Amino acid sequence: MANRIPSFLLDRSSPAPLKPDSGRVRVSFVEKGINHLARVIKKGYIHSEFFPRTGFFQKIDPRIKIFFLIFFIIIVSLRKDLLSELYVSIFIFVLVLLSRLKAVTFYRRVLLFGFFFGFLIALPSAFNFVTKGEMILPVATLSRPYDFWIYHIPATIGITKEGMLGVAMLTMRVINSLSLSFLVLYTTPFPEMVRALKILRVPDTFLIIISLCYKYIFLFSKTIEDMYLSKRARMLGEEDNKKAREWTAGRLALIFRKTQLRCEEVFRAMVGRGFSDSIKLYGFGKMRPMDWASGAILFSIGLLFLLM
Amino acid sequence: MENIIRLEGISYSYYDQIPALSEIDLEVADGDNLAVIGANGSGKSTLLQIMGGLRYPSKGRFFFREADVSERSLRNKGSLKFFRKSVGYVFQDSDVQLFCPTVLDELLYGPLQLDIDEKEALDRAFEVMKMLNIEQLKNRPSYMLSGGEKKKVAIGSVLTMNPEVLLLDEPTNGLDPKTQCFLVELMFALKDAGKTLVVATHDLSLVDELQARVAVLSEEHRIEKVGGVNEILGDQDLLLRVNLIHEHIHRHGETIHRHIHSHYLFHRHEG
Repeated sequence: MANRIPSFLLDRSSPAPLKPDSGRVRVSFVEKGINHLARVIKKGYIHSEFFPRTGFFQKIDPRIKIFFLIFFIIIVSLRKDLLSELYVSIFIFVLVLLSRLKAVTFYRRVLLFGFFFGFLIALPSAFNFVTKGEMILPVATLSRPYDFWIYHIPATIGITKEGMLGVAMLTMRVINSLSLSFLVLYTTPFPEMVRALKILRVPDTFLIIISLCYKYIFLFSKTIEDMYLSKRARMLGEEDNKKAREWTAGRLALIFRKTQLRCEEVFRAMVGRGFSDSIKLYGFGKMRPMDWASGAILFSIGLLFLLM
Repeated sequence: MENIIRLEGISYSYYDQIPALSEIDLEVADGDNLAVIGANGSGKSTLLQIMGGLRYPSKGRFFFREADVSERSLRNKGSLKFFRKSVGYVFQDSDVQLFCPTVLDELLYGPLQLDIDEKEALDRAFEVMKMLNIEQLKNRPSYMLSGGEKKKVAIGSVLTMNPEVLLLDEPTNGLDPKTQCFLVELMFALKDAGKTLVVATHDLSLVDELQARVAVLSEEHRIEKVGGVNEILGDQDLLLRVNLIHEHIHRHGETIHRHIHSHYLFHRHEG
């Protein structure tokens, strides 16, 4: 082997020492995006690992939590006044504290999503050309009113009291629904949550498909992150977006191929362990008295909100 | 001999939650041959990725030729070029490392990034292919290669950059005995050519063959001991403690037999 070592590998001339120059390396948008996405997926899969496991909600059976989630989302959607929504918000806040979740981190996420998917989406309905009513904030004045298809655009465009109440109501509903979902998500490991869907009579086949998909998305996101690292190991500077896109396309093709191969392997592994045409999943054991008690308390509080 | 790599109090945790390395102090001299050994999950790959400037420690400092290597310093073009030119990283999973259309493109990628002219880059690629016996694969896409061929191409793709330091993560893992033997011979040749080799592995027979200096990582993600190969491999208590060998109990007829088990320890030379 020694005689076959190429002469350039025997060149021991050391490169110039590590000396900073004026240039800065910029990472392309595509690369940053891929790496970030892979990290988000990985973190999402193991989210429950990052939160305390000893809080009130963590101790409850996942089936109770799924029931609680659905029941309270129905309550949030049925209530028609802001005050009731506020009471529900306060109740969820108490549950967040009892579950020892970091309230700031929790509400930062809830409010961010609530702002985009609640407030911003509902905002146009605050204007008087969508919701008629008492004008509280004129925004623009046109020379005359316009009629367009089924819409009537008045000469003075502005925000109405009724419209603003509608926006506030929808935003509160979105925020409450998100808080409920995150509360369950952060206090329940993903596999248990999927299994708990059995109480909704979701077929086992569907549950195993969800679990497998999510698991392999997690594994492939790890592969993508490693690919990104391996590219960085041989990158000596920045790369323009065109080259980054080409690299991404190549990686997608490889991931697609790996996915196909893995799919066949998983199927063979399932067949090897007795899979024929139906899937039987192990369910949960009996619920403890504490689970029943927690369920009864949550159900009673929910009824109270509903009848208020 | 001058230190080429120096780690001072390095700690790393994934997502700020899962510890991978704790208070690691380690020095690698120029031309050294170091094996980092430890059980699965002890942090070998993470340690190598920090040495390769691919991850940045949560705590502690990493020096390459006494220059501080950090996320900030590697954002500078000059520093990054120097570092990537000097340190080559061979990943455990060759699939993640091979991203060019063909084997030849793969070998040319590094030198072209280094602004080496095309003729010189081609010369390097063909010389490396000849050394690795993969000339016949030059136009083949990486997904049509066997595991051993992929590993050779992955090593070749780093060698064409002529790095001073080669970081190899589990280089012989999953390879057939012939390819493993080829890789060991290659590592010897690279060592003789003056390269600094850092190998992460839990294969004790590989460590023995390489006659490397050994750093042992514990399951608590700390450096348990650094020493010569004979000193480390002869210390059964240490190897038991870090879970690299284990006690094995089995029956010979009616007799229950108990002994330390390791594939390395069974490998004995008769004089």
